[in-house]
Amino acid sequence: MIEDVYRVPERVRRVQWTALVVGLVALAICVVYGFLFDHAQFFRSYLLAYVYWLAVSLGCLGMLMLQHLSGGVWGSAIRRLFEAGAATLVLMLLLAVPVALGLDELYTWARPGPSAHPEWLDHVRPYLNVNFVLIRMAGYFVLWIGLAYLLNRWSGALDGSGDPRYSWRMTRISGPGAALCVMSALFFSTDMVMSLEPEWYSTIFGFVFVTDALLEGMALSVAAFALLSESGPLSEVISPLYFLDYGKILLGIIVFWSYVGFSQLLIIWIGNLPHEVVWYVHRSSGGWMWVAMAMLIFMFFLPLLVLLSRSFKRSRRALATLCGLILLMELVRVFWYVEPSFHTDGFYLHWMDVVAPIGIGGVWISAFCWWLRRRPVLPLYLVPRRHPRSVEEIESRIGVAENAER
Amino acid sequence: MIAGNEIYGLMAEFDSDRDILLAARRAQEAGYTRMDACTPHPVEGLADAVGYRKTRVPVIALSGGAIGGAIALLLLYWINVITYPINVGGRPMASWPAFIPPTFELTVLCASLAALFGMLALNRLPQPYHPVFNVPEFERATQDRFFLVIEASDPRFDVEQTRRFLESLNPLGVYDVEP
Amino acid sequence: MSDQQPQEANVPHEEVRSITEEESARRMPGRPPLILPGYTYRSLTEQISSIVLGRTPLGWWAGAFFLFLIVMIFLYAVGYLFYTGVGIWGVNIPIAWGFAIVDFVWWIGIGHAGTLISAILLLMYQSWRTSINRIAEAMTLFAISQAAMFPILHLGRPWLFYWLIPYPSTMNVWPQFRSSLTWDVFAITTYFIVSLIFWYMGALPDFGTMRDRAKRRIPQVLFGIVALGWRGSIKHWRNYQMAYLIIAALATPLVVSVHSVVSLDFTISIVPGWHSTIFPPYFVAGALLSGFAMVLTLVIPIRSFYRLHGLITDRYIENMARWMLVTALVVDYSYATELFMSWYSGDVFEEYMSITRMFGAYWWVWWSVMMCNVVVPQALWFRGVRRNVMAVFFVAMFINVGMWIERFMIIVVSLSRDFLPSSWEQYAGTVWDWATFIGTLGVFAWLMFLFVRLVPMISMSESKELLSEQELTAGTHA
Repeated sequence: MIEDVYRVPERVRRVQWTALVVGLVALAICVVYGFLFDHAQFFRSYLLAYVYWLAVSLGCLGMLMLQHLSGGVWGSAIRRLFEAGAATLVLMLLLAVPVALGLDELYTWARPGPSAHPEWLDHVRPYLNVNFVLIRMAGYFVLWIGLAYLLNRWSGALDGSGDPRYSWRMTRISGPGAALCVMSALFFSTDMVMSLEPEWYSTIFGFVFVTDALLEGMALSVAAFALLSESGPLSEVISPLYFLDYGKILLGIIVFWSYVGFSQLLIIWIGNLPHEVVWYVHRSSGGWMWVAMAMLIFMFFLPLLVLLSRSFKRSRRALATLCGLILLMELVRVFWYVEPSFHTDGFYLHWMDVVAPIGIGGVWISAFCWWLRRRPVLPLYLVPRRHPRSVEEIESRIGVAENAER
Repeated sequence: MIAGNEIYGLMAEFDSDRDILLAARRAQEAGYTRMDACTPHPVEGLADAVGYRKTRVPVIALSGGAIGGAIALLLLYWINVITYPINVGGRPMASWPAFIPPTFELTVLCASLAALFGMLALNRLPQPYHPVFNVPEFERATQDRFFLVIEASDPRFDVEQTRRFLESLNPLGVYDVEP
Repeated sequence: MSDQQPQEANVPHEEVRSITEEESARRMPGRPPLILPGYTYRSLTEQISSIVLGRTPLGWWAGAFFLFLIVMIFLYAVGYLFYTGVGIWGVNIPIAWGFAIVDFVWWIGIGHAGTLISAILLLMYQSWRTSINRIAEAMTLFAISQAAMFPILHLGRPWLFYWLIPYPSTMNVWPQFRSSLTWDVFAITTYFIVSLIFWYMGALPDFGTMRDRAKRRIPQVLFGIVALGWRGSIKHWRNYQMAYLIIAALATPLVVSVHSVVSLDFTISIVPGWHSTIFPPYFVAGALLSGFAMVLTLVIPIRSFYRLHGLITDRYIENMARWMLVTALVVDYSYATELFMSWYSGDVFEEYMSITRMFGAYWWVWWSVMMCNVVVPQALWFRGVRRNVMAVFFVAMFINVGMWIERFMIIVVSLSRDFLPSSWEQYAGTVWDWATFIGTLGVFAWLMFLFVRLVPMISMSESKELLSEQELTAGTHA
């Protein structure tokens, strides 16, 4: 039966349970240690882990809507992975509870008592106060989960019925949905990340966060898709040409990511205003400079160079490895966003900064696998009926575009 | 009848991209190696069929870009740090973030110029004279007809045999190309 | 749609592509094809080339003559400027950047959509670029020419503009590269040259067609020269396509970088309302928005004048309207972000700038911008509006105006209210400012007239490729 053919391989089940166990154990260790010895550090590590994995979910939701809007084969084939990533937003709502509990440990604006920035805090109090932030968080999640739910549901319904109205609906909702998500990401990143550094603001930061999220969602989905389609019936269906497209999209996101990141750096660096430049001073003094350099090399130069090669993009293994590197460097990046706000004098790494992301990640991956296993990985309505073109023709056409980038 | 060494080659005219693709593949199977196809728009797979695969334009463009970028960065450094260092708003002489935009622009400029002139050089353009223009029907090569040319320098070329071969491909016409 | 159940397990790449195309056809019912049925290679070539090789329509002469008069206004205004100096303009300290820079940013923004349509859509295999890319690229070239004039006219001593270029001068003075004004020189020069290369390369095969179709001697010789001996050899096509794609791949980040550099002219200073990190992407989106609006402003009348509805189908208009909506949303997002962050920052100057934009002496500027760039483009959410050519044209006109006023808001309002109330000032353009601006509109339109008359305005070779593909899909679907 075709439905069974395109289900994920049985090993995903093992991954699901292993990840769950590892994740829960890691989370338990952090919670116990944090509860007994170090409240503040627990919440910091948990926040960076949470922001990181939430960005992965949001990136999947964003890519899902983008592929509905752009159309094209690349997105239709990988759609189920984006859908599964977006579905984990329900889990992320649950995991938001510790962040909500730790607001006063994390943010100066949530902390009663004297602070170093009294005027600014008084000024933003109507926006940055615990109640309003929690209400906003609820609002973001209503939007995100609503979109993820509808897109998952209609995609499943399309599988069953083949009714074209569902694909029409998915496209229709993706336009306004994407616009609202970008807007919500601006406020979310302001609330959760930007406000860690009092008085600092950057108008481009919403774009920076959106790009980070898209990169994470895309990298995780591509890595998972590469591993899933390596063997079994999917490997016959999903040719390396798909990964050529994914490689190009990754390249595009990385270039855009470097563009927004560099714009922010250049403008703040050259303006050199105290309340702006403080963010970069905290993130480049002491050992933090090395972290920034590592990101420059491993998230920009290296991916840029290897992604120009056609054979690299066509290789599942190579692309999956690169995606792993990107995901790791994105974690470093979120670490670099969060931790220097608390350790302005120099590099600082707590073991929970590593264990907490593993904890949330384990649970996340487990939920992701669980959702993937429920449905065929390749949307059934995409499996075609005829062969209008020869493979050589396509190869030659794509080859032309591909060589152009080198 | 003209002898084989007095003509540039033989030319067959076709009506559609599918016909010429088929004809070129047949010619390749028949062992012809020195041939060319002239078409009003690029036809996928035809370059492979006439035995022309590689293009060196990417390498040329890449080297152009690399040279342009390196020269730009060195030039900016030399101007602002070595030969004419002036203090602007207390910023360091080697203001790397500020050097990036002009470096990027010059990289793109040099790579584009390299791609253009590389393409022209590889195609031997501008080339005001070429034997194929001697065939009156050839003016439609840039409009709506597809032409396959088998050159006389091909080791398998023989005026009569090649003409018969081309005629067997159902062309609209077969013409001698004067040198 | 009854046989949705798949029959076979082997799905090469292209198979799924065709199905998604079907799916998209289902999603968007009633979409016209990119080239209307009934065209052959022959009729297509004839229709496009006869515009250049045939007789000049009377309407063309009338329009060109009228525009020539406006070109004279421009030349007079510039001549008087050279004779007198920039004092004839309304600029003075503190508002040293007035109309000239507003016009510069507006024109360079318009120059963005051309290369974007061509380059990005080519890389994304979007075939709906084919019929409009040449017009859009020509528009880019002419718009950059208008834009590049303004900073030079603004120099005060325009004949010394070459001082901006790094060259070994006898005085041993070099430009310093910590200023975005020197980056501008590189960005705009590069953009013009690369756009020119891209446009010329795209037109090269068509110049060959024109050479072969021309019956009279002079066009034969002239097109023969620019065609460089192009004969459509498949070996030429191979290198040509590769070079074209490479330049497209290079032009895409270039387009983004150029308006980003223009935005840095403002952001690297610390003037409230200018120093904002979102400016690079915000300016790029604004540039694309005004560029798409201008392409539509040009394409819709040209199409109806030369009866090109079969080649520039309504689908092109609809797609461009969609892009206009997307870029307008990015611009609107940037307005919202700026507004929100100016409050969030707690910086009195930033906050005051937002308030003075809305309710200060230039209140009408801000409200007009909101009307033109925020309210009106939302109409494009509706398919009925996107498919109504007149409605799209109407929205495009609003955006053309709105984007000019937006640059006025950014440049003039910020300069008129900086940190010290003692240096607050009002600004208005003089008659010479208006004459120069209207003059460049005339020069631009006049150059477009010449282009339409002298160069095949739709890519014939690419249209044939598209036609061949349409036939192929039609064949397999039958």
